[in-house]
Amino acid sequence: MTATTPEIITASTTPGWQRWLRRHGWTTGVWLLLVAMTIWYSTLIPRFGAFEVSTIVNNSLPLVYLAVAQAVIVIAGGIDLGVGGMLVLVNVTAARFMLDQPFGMTLLIAVLVVIGAAALNGGVGWVINVSRVPDIVITLGTLFIYQGMALAILPNPGGGTSDGFRWIFTGSEVGIGRNPWPAIVMIIVPVLLVAWWMGKTRSGLSLYAIGSNRTAAYLSGINAARAKITAYAIGGAFAAMAGLAVTAIAGRGNPNIVGGNFTLNSVAAIVLGGVALTGGIGSVIGAVAAGIVLFFLNPILTAMGVDPNRAQIIRGLLIVLVMMVAGLLELRRQRRS
Amino acid sequence: MDTPLLATRNIAKRYGSVVALTSVDLTVKPGEIHALLGANGAGKSTLVKILSGVLSADTGQIEVAGSSVRLRRPDDAMDAGLATVFQDPALIPDLTIEQNLKISGLAESDVRDWLDRMELGDLDFDLMVTDVPLPVLRLLDLARALAHDPHLLMLDEITAALTQDQADHVFAVMREWKERNRSVLFISHRLGEVLAICDRATILRNGRDVESLAPGEGGEARLVAAMLGDAAGQPAEVSERTASVAADGPVLLQAEALTRDTRLDGVSFELRAGEILGLAALEGQGQEQLFQLLSGDRKPDSGNILVNGEPMSARSPYDAIRKGVVLVPADRLQALLPQRSVRENLATPLYNRIARWFSLAGDETKRVANAIDRLDIDVRAGSQVQRLSGGNQQKVTIGRWLASGFATLLCFDPTRGIDIQTKAQIYDLLRELADEGAAILLYTSELREIPLVCDRVLVMYDGRIVHEQDAATSTEEGLLTIAHGLEEAPA
Repeated sequence: MTATTPEIITASTTPGWQRWLRRHGWTTGVWLLLVAMTIWYSTLIPRFGAFEVSTIVNNSLPLVYLAVAQAVIVIAGGIDLGVGGMLVLVNVTAARFMLDQPFGMTLLIAVLVVIGAAALNGGVGWVINVSRVPDIVITLGTLFIYQGMALAILPNPGGGTSDGFRWIFTGSEVGIGRNPWPAIVMIIVPVLLVAWWMGKTRSGLSLYAIGSNRTAAYLSGINAARAKITAYAIGGAFAAMAGLAVTAIAGRGNPNIVGGNFTLNSVAAIVLGGVALTGGIGSVIGAVAAGIVLFFLNPILTAMGVDPNRAQIIRGLLIVLVMMVAGLLELRRQRRS
Repeated sequence: MDTPLLATRNIAKRYGSVVALTSVDLTVKPGEIHALLGANGAGKSTLVKILSGVLSADTGQIEVAGSSVRLRRPDDAMDAGLATVFQDPALIPDLTIEQNLKISGLAESDVRDWLDRMELGDLDFDLMVTDVPLPVLRLLDLARALAHDPHLLMLDEITAALTQDQADHVFAVMREWKERNRSVLFISHRLGEVLAICDRATILRNGRDVESLAPGEGGEARLVAAMLGDAAGQPAEVSERTASVAADGPVLLQAEALTRDTRLDGVSFELRAGEILGLAALEGQGQEQLFQLLSGDRKPDSGNILVNGEPMSARSPYDAIRKGVVLVPADRLQALLPQRSVRENLATPLYNRIARWFSLAGDETKRVANAIDRLDIDVRAGSQVQRLSGGNQQKVTIGRWLASGFATLLCFDPTRGIDIQTKAQIYDLLRELADEGAAILLYTSELREIPLVCDRVLVMYDGRIVHEQDAATSTEEGLLTIAHGLEEAPA
């Protein structure tokens, strides 16, 4: 007499490409959406060339960096409403100290500012961790603090930067031109670095771990405090990159930029980019595409002749619509399995 | 004389005013499988959490192989050679198995080796953890703990979710571990397992170690007596079987050829007022799906559910509850509002009928108070249900329906992980309810209790009801055989 036990599925029977698509379907989808929008846009306007591409890539830089910053933090189970404030703070700090400096000096200042921002925001992560106050509350505070610090550093729009520094982010010494490549490199290199780190290394995977299930992560011996502080530090660094991009594009600092708007857009971008607000799911790659898509809507709607005042409505509807479709697809998938 | 592998002295821990551990001395020798026993609330879980670095003790010392250690965080425990398999899977759901192992800093091949020995060698490490069934996760957790190569392996209720042959694999690994002169601290509510595999047992009661003995001496009865202490005079397991009423009450709930996905294949049965109908099945035979359909959580692909002879056609549990069909799930926190008080939880199902939305009417307040009395719920930690012990939480989930009233009670493994005293109280209560005219469907993973508690028993295998008999004449062995999809040997 042999006892037969119920068979347990241990090996997946789905082919590899299907599994890949299931796991990275959303990211792929957002990038396809971006491609489709680009093609559509090229038919809307009389001339679509290097200048147009460059304009869109350059001007979406700040939002893309902020989306990456937000994605890293949200994946790790937090949320940082302060990223928009950090953008303004870095923008004015860089502009104030870079004024009339040679290229080498401006570069050094940029590096120092990014490091400083990472340390500052890492400190915020530490405070959240020690105080156990929810992330959303503390970072709502830092949004105001950063914005206020910006006004203290540079009360009125002004400051400046070097031509070389402007070229690094915009491919042009005047902040607008026909060369999109520097901006593309400035996105791709750091993003791929972070994506690789988060997907392949022990310390990077810890971010997913604490965002997915903090208790299980803790029980697995992960230093949850360190992972959280790391996430906020990296988020701070990317928010600083956004601020530097603004400095390069505008060529000066402006403390009157409303950081809160940038924060909200960064949250919209990661949601569109497939990052779950509950943490643990998504990737920075998807957030990049979503950041460009959100910015891209403006020129497209303008080209379509939509009243700019109505464009906001369409942007909001798009987010709701995409989330609804994604939710329905997920529900269907769960029902089938 | 050997230095003990693990020795704790005077370990104490309190949460606010609640004392979890008064003083525990625990000694585990090298090459020993040591059972840690005790009723719920005796302090087993707290002790394990302290030994695994999740909690730190208020006072007391921990020595590993003769040298004193301080365990501040889980990695301290792992460094000290103490690895734990916790009651709930400690794997990150949104990562693949491979990524989970990377996070733990383990070589895949080490884990694979141990899985091989548990006949899971072909497990695909590229699977997301959410897609892996629970029993496999438990074994994966075990393999992961073993790959840390600890001196002491602590297993907290690991067999609860496993089928018999999976549990046998676990026992084989435990014995192998012992042969390597390493030790195991084994926590289980299944005394049969403890008797079969453990060399020694330490018994906790009310936060103290009350006895340390070889389980062989005096067997089950002595272990139970030590766990119960003063209550030892009372019958240990479920009280004497009450004479069952002849099942001639009206049919309250009827299932007709229920089919859903590939998991349920034409399930039919009748449930009458005044009876407790047992359902026996191994893990994953479709019982979860059956309860989902009956409680209105999901709709059947085909087939009907009749309540009092009329189709239930529930779109959500709301509809089922309105028709008097209510569920007590195994996962207690799934049914409760963990941060809210006992009273609020008991009153939740009443909210729908509260005419004045701002307060509970006098009648409802009385219902809630009655439920607390009747269930003997310990409300000292009543401000947040999550602070209650598992047994008391389960009483609250049943109490909710006592307060609101029901006709048919669906109980899905209501005594999972609950101490025998509370278990007996719950079974007595079910019998009382049945005597008062309720119809009860009881799925339990503890087959030996079916003859004691139920009137009739159904056995489910592979999505179908394969057997029905009078529970009084059933035996654990018989049910187990049938639940494995085999014919019962002719008597």
